Amino acid sequence: MRAYLNTINNPWGMFDDWMTDFPFEFLNTAWRARSGQYPRVNVWESEKGLIVEAEVAGVDPNKLEVSVDANVLTLKGEKEQGKAARAEFQRSFNLPFELDNENIKATTKNGVLTITIPRKAGTVEKRKIAIEKL
Amino acid sequence: MNLMKRNEQDVQKVDRVEVTPVTRVDESDDAFTLTVEMPGVDEKDIALSLEHRTLSVTAQNTVERYKDYTLAITEIPEVRYHASFELPERINTAGIKAANRNGLLILTLPKCEEVKPRRIEITAG
Repeated sequence: MRAYLNTINNPWGMFDDWMTDFPFEFLNTAWRARSGQYPRVNVWESEKGLIVEAEVAGVDPNKLEVSVDANVLTLKGEKEQGKAARAEFQRSFNLPFELDNENIKATTKNGVLTITIPRKAGTVEKRKIAIEKL
Repeated sequence: MNLMKRNEQDVQKVDRVEVTPVTRVDESDDAFTLTVEMPGVDEKDIALSLEHRTLSVTAQNTVERYKDYTLAITEIPEVRYHASFELPERINTAGIKAANRNGLLILTLPKCEEVKPRRIEITAG
């Protein structure tokens, strides 16, 4: 009933709700990964850190850029497509922990880029918080 | 149905989805170049065969697994790549060359001598 009343006040209300809930961002990412505009990735996680693997076939390793800003990891590159055409891509990830900037390693093999990102030492342990009785 | 006798490798082959790799064809004066995108494929996992005028490429990728790690995002499946190309008469099948670089399989298909552009000299007569 409330939804109906809202519809009277704002005829587009239901549509707005639908638009807000619709996972546009997710679908967009999934579609771009499928269509090859994004490199596809596998991300492995553990207490030690993360391993990110990205498919970068046809990308010259010299034109591949991996950068870290705060806790955002960005992959950037340029794919050759014949003599005249080239395609640029960029993909960023929010990382769920503080990283050890010094020890990030990246290697390529057979068109797969592997990035090893260790956690910053001392950020691993979960801390239990004691609840005090008043 | 004789499922029990299959060895591990066979089972893995059955489980993999077959996909057609992204392919591009470029032409130059003396050859066609087929570029097949197959990331994660090791050279030893590529099988190339030529039967009459059909060139087939079959390969499978290796998706690395890490001990003690769990997968957070999975977008790369284990697949079997398969593509076959019908080569036209003007390709010299004996001279086909293949190279593997950066996850790309690059096939050079030279043209027959008769179809290559050539200059015809004009003689004064």
